Amino acid sequence: MPEHVIKRDGQTIPFNIHRIETAIVKAMGSVQCHQTHLLPLLCTDIERELSGHQPCDIDTIQQVVEAALIRHRLVDVARSYIAYRRTRDIERERRSKLNDDIVGLISRRNSALLNENANKDSYVIPTQRDLLAGIVARHIAKTQLLPQDVVQAHEHGDIHYHDLDYAPFFPMFNCMLVDLEGMLTQGFRMGNAEIEPPKSITTAAHVTAQIIAQVASHIYGGTTIDRIDEILAPYVTASFHKHLTTAEQWNIADVNAYAMQQTERECFDAFQALEYEVNTLHTSNGQTPFVTFGFGLGQGWQERLIQKAILKVRLAGLGRNRKTAVFPKLVLAIKEGLNRSTNDPNYDIKQLALQCASQRMYPDILNYDQVVLATGSFKTPMGCRSFLDNRQQNSEHPHAGRNNLGVVSINLPRIALLAEQDSARFFALLHQRLALCFSALMSRVDRLKGVKARVAPILYMEGACGIRLKADDDIFQLFHDGRATVSLGYIGLHETANALFGREPHIYDCEHKQRFAIAVVETLKQATDQWRQKTDLGFSLYSTPSESLCARFCELDTKEFGVIPGVTDKGYYTNSFHLDVEKKVTPYDKILFEKPYPRIASGGFICYGEFPNLQHNLKALEDVWDFSYRHVPYYGTNTPIDECFRCGFQGEFNCTAKGFCCPACANHDPQSISVTRRVCGYLGAPNARPFNAGKQEEVKRRVKHLATPL
Amino acid sequence: MNYHAYYPIDVVNGPGTRCTLFVSGCEHRCRGCYNAATWNPHNGLPFTPQLEERILQDLADTDIPRQGLSLSGGDPLYPANLSAVFSLVKRVKQELPDKDIWCWTGYRLGQLTKQQQRVLSFIDVLIDGPFVEPLKDPRLVWRGSQNQRVVPIAAWLAANHRVDTQSIG
Ligand SMILES: [Zn+2]
Repeated sequence: MPEHVIKRDGQTIPFNIHRIETAIVKAMGSVQCHQTHLLPLLCTDIERELSGHQPCDIDTIQQVVEAALIRHRLVDVARSYIAYRRTRDIERERRSKLNDDIVGLISRRNSALLNENANKDSYVIPTQRDLLAGIVARHIAKTQLLPQDVVQAHEHGDIHYHDLDYAPFFPMFNCMLVDLEGMLTQGFRMGNAEIEPPKSITTAAHVTAQIIAQVASHIYGGTTIDRIDEILAPYVTASFHKHLTTAEQWNIADVNAYAMQQTERECFDAFQALEYEVNTLHTSNGQTPFVTFGFGLGQGWQERLIQKAILKVRLAGLGRNRKTAVFPKLVLAIKEGLNRSTNDPNYDIKQLALQCASQRMYPDILNYDQVVLATGSFKTPMGCRSFLDNRQQNSEHPHAGRNNLGVVSINLPRIALLAEQDSARFFALLHQRLALCFSALMSRVDRLKGVKARVAPILYMEGACGIRLKADDDIFQLFHDGRATVSLGYIGLHETANALFGREPHIYDCEHKQRFAIAVVETLKQATDQWRQKTDLGFSLYSTPSESLCARFCELDTKEFGVIPGVTDKGYYTNSFHLDVEKKVTPYDKILFEKPYPRIASGGFICYGEFPNLQHNLKALEDVWDFSYRHVPYYGTNTPIDECFRCGFQGEFNCTAKGFCCPACANHDPQSISVTRRVCGYLGAPNARPFNAGKQEEVKRRVKHLATPL
Repeated sequence: MNYHAYYPIDVVNGPGTRCTLFVSGCEHRCRGCYNAATWNPHNGLPFTPQLEERILQDLADTDIPRQGLSLSGGDPLYPANLSAVFSLVKRVKQELPDKDIWCWTGYRLGQLTKQQQRVLSFIDVLIDGPFVEPLKDPRLVWRGSQNQRVVPIAAWLAANHRVDTQSIG
């Protein structure tokens, strides 16, 4: 008989035969075996067998027990004993995974976790607390809250259950359009304060920042203010009247000119303060909130003033070095007859926006008519690219206060690899996966049932969601009947076509592959339409921005299928329907290639072009914007806006072994350079905070879409 | 004439969206030239009437409007290139008078031969002078080194009367 046993965690404890006996009795009980009279014999047998192992470990004991049970023809008992042991092993494995994750966070070893989101500075304590909460929330969701087939499909990489670090552990949703107008005009409570309707643009902008901070702490995705110029316009008027009164009191000669000048100045200052506040905010999610401002449709002088202020503030930059602000994301609406053409009344705003985009990357543009065509009505996306549909019901606002409940994305290349060049098989497998996605998405939705408004007063009781509930009201009434969207996402259409039909010819040059790709997206869309009919939920199809997912799926598939040219060989999968970043085509050709998709995947989309430095050629940028107006709803321009604060160079830095390096003076000191790249829908500073490996590779491989000789 | 590359859509060589032709052949051989493969006039492909036709068509495109044509290289004013370049720029100006033509040359504007000056009269903007590596500055617009100039030709002609306008045909 051994004296000691080494446990899995390394502890040594005295050997005790009764523990083994108890385990065998349990196993016997579970299979209704009554041969307990064999126990003494079994125990002697096991003790004798084990005496050869000094000291002995848990694995050896378990093997010896199994063997003894089988020798005594207790096969069912042995099976039950093994099954019990396996469950314990899985549990133990998960516990130790939880433990590893936590230790990895503390010791800064787990770089995948630390660099997962380019917007989180994983060094600071609140972020670490958030990451820690995320580790635990994810663990509990996987072990206790989600259906096991969903968990397995997620771990295995068939699907991706986004934002597991927040939901379903917390009953939180993804992103939203804040009903700022309702909150400002009707007032609301925040913490201990009653907030009255503001009486100047300064106060209105300040209150807006407060609302954003609060809202962003209660959701995990993006916070969008749609039509901010129109919503805040009345407060510009209020400021104007205030300055008019002052002018009259002080007997100023030209009261109107004075009041106008003061108002312009106040408006600029208010929006500058708002930008600073948004960029310095740290939500309880441990990150700068993902904030988007949609603007551009207002026509009055007040709206125009706000539009100009937003753009001029962005152009001015942040801080002493005038760095490019990363937030809020700016999205400008372009509309024929308003600001698109030379004779339009707001054409000057478009010119200012072009200048701003060439220097600060934002604004991206929403082409009014195309947005209406794709989604049924005009609205700014929630977060970076999630679009609501049209919902003209009662007298309620069709968009403000609505939200998205979350995303589950499907790994399309995996299905194509499994289908082994057989497209019929691909679609059959796809349908199986879609059933799984539905059950995963329903688990997101179900978590929000029975939740009371008091969990997030700012959202449900004070007006951010557009309807004010009582503390103990169910929040679900805000989500059903298609008011909220629930999104199916997808990744890697490009690699999917390659997996099925081979790497050559490139999908750009192959009509067959293109038709197939469109058919895939249409199949996904049909699934969401069916789910919509089956439930009363606003299921939508969303083109996933795959910040960390682009690498994760590819990595898992490489493990399973090996390195496959054109599929897993790059270390990342291409975003949704986007053209492969390495394909050299003009931005015009890229727009036409991507044109069919937003109308199908109407729940989320964006198209990009990669441009050289266009700060001295705004006309060229305008040409592309104008072309996009006829073809795609939502367009962003990626252009090198890196800056050297030592020599003043503006343009594209070289990516060298020393890090990013100024091409004019070779400066690579991170303190005196600014490097900005688009990561998914948002901007990031890879110089200050590294991207995850797959995204880094993708960013490196992007080719400029204007270097294509005949 | 041989050409090195033709870009039907270009935004970095001149204002707006343009068509850009890089010709072969250059005698300046500037140290640090970013396009040294274009020095040899026999490099690249022959500039054919088909390509000239294509350029005219691209410039006339209304779907993706072009502001004009850019000629670079190599050197469009390299003696052996002059006749092909002359017929191209003349045709562009006659058939598409609202398109502008920008041209990059390593010669100095004041030192052009009679033959080169004939081409000049169809050009809107000339960027002149050799690339001088020690004077290189990435912050410059439309040119590589500080000695180079961006010269609007009409204004320059009005100020200098260097070209006998009567002789241009
Ligand atoms: Zn520098």
